[in-house]
Amino acid sequence: MVNPRTLRIDLASPRPVYEQIVSGLRAMLVAREFARGEQLPTVRQLAIDLGVHHNTVAESYRVLAEEGWLDLRRGRGAVVLDRREPKPSSKAKQRFARNLEELTAKAVAEGVPRSAVAEHMAALATKLSRT
Amino acid sequence: MAHPQILFGAVMLLVIVFVEWLFWMLPLWSRPGIFFAVTVVPEFRSSSEAARILRNYRIQTLLSVAIAFALVVIGALSLKFAFLILGIVWLMVGPLFSIARAHKNAMRHAIATPTIREASLTPRSAQLPGGWLLQLCPFAIMLITAVYIAVHWQQIPDRFPVHWGVDGKPNGWSDRSVLGAYGPLIVGFAVSIGLSIIVVSFSYLARHIPTTGDLPSKGDFTHRIAIFLLGIEFFLAAMFSLAALLPFTGNPGLAPIVVLVIGLGGSAIFLRGWISRGASRSVPADGTPDNCWKLGLFYFNPDDSALFVEKRIGIGYTVNFARASAWICLALILFLPIFLLFLILQQH
Repeated sequence: MVNPRTLRIDLASPRPVYEQIVSGLRAMLVAREFARGEQLPTVRQLAIDLGVHHNTVAESYRVLAEEGWLDLRRGRGAVVLDRREPKPSSKAKQRFARNLEELTAKAVAEGVPRSAVAEHMAALATKLSRT
Repeated sequence: MAHPQILFGAVMLLVIVFVEWLFWMLPLWSRPGIFFAVTVVPEFRSSSEAARILRNYRIQTLLSVAIAFALVVIGALSLKFAFLILGIVWLMVGPLFSIARAHKNAMRHAIATPTIREASLTPRSAQLPGGWLLQLCPFAIMLITAVYIAVHWQQIPDRFPVHWGVDGKPNGWSDRSVLGAYGPLIVGFAVSIGLSIIVVSFSYLARHIPTTGDLPSKGDFTHRIAIFLLGIEFFLAAMFSLAALLPFTGNPGLAPIVVLVIGLGGSAIFLRGWISRGASRSVPADGTPDNCWKLGLFYFNPDDSALFVEKRIGIGYTVNFARASAWICLALILFLPIFLLFLILQQH
């Protein structure tokens, strides 16, 4: 059983580590894994546990703070904010649809059964509707 | 003492047997999947090639320890200080060459280091063993001793022995001065402060490795190491306090030998209890790439924020030498007490 509050990165991935941290954390924030006002680990603690440079984690936190997910006031660490979801632009919607299509195609091309892709998407949709 | 040379030889033999035992067992204390600081398949440790590397390592360490013992015995019999020092230094350094050699041989069987890293997103608070109160106890012991010395200052002889030769006769003296009387306590304080900083740092700056692949180990391993260091602090506080009370007690007699035997015996029992623990821990990845373990002993990784990482040979933690704070820690632990000791010896 994987702890839902465990962040996982892959150093062999072509994606930069800071992006992986941003994506992983964002997914948890969207899924409301953290309550408003809850504290995340300090930059140093997370960097130590992941075995990466603290600047990498600091950059990830900064990106999430710019998106409105975190409050990074000095001395308080990273605190989860109650982020109001912005009104999506048509551009953002188009980008999401394109990305999803590309991702699905890639998964199928790599041999993931279509039924499994559909199952994952349905599960994700259910999870989203609950939050 | 009737046979001081025999007594000295017996003590040295005890120390050397203990050190050899440590080096003999060291490779077995690594986690499964690690062999001489190299990531290998868990089954490798029971292969004939691993047995060959281990056998060669043990033969080399035995030789190193035998050379060290010979140097110490020559030094003691001929009363040549240089041989004694050389023997003790070789006792520590000689087996390290064997480790480096075994590491190099094991590297041929290395597998790719896991690239997946996991971290818990639950903030943790540092838990000091016994809390701050227990952390302060070793200092309290030395403080009480200091107060006792101050109160009984007039009872201290103008000149008193602080060192005894193998024949039991004093060969080093000190006088009734602040450095002379409080010297051992000053060194004890310096060492204890260094160790305390490390104990506190462990709780914050050591990596908590997931042991099952999904949950953090709750700092259990770091906590045990912190307890061990605290035990050393208590031991040192007692030793330095006893040394500071020498002007009142005179020749310590067999007390240091008894304390040494208890210390070594206690350490051996404590370490032995960890053998099964070290072998049974399931750690998928410790987050330290193989190529960052220089000679299998020294971790150097500028991209890793951790100051303390779990050792890959033996048990416990080592520092990340790529971090400046690691050198400050070493300076606190090693050089500050040595510097203070040098200052005190100058006074003598």
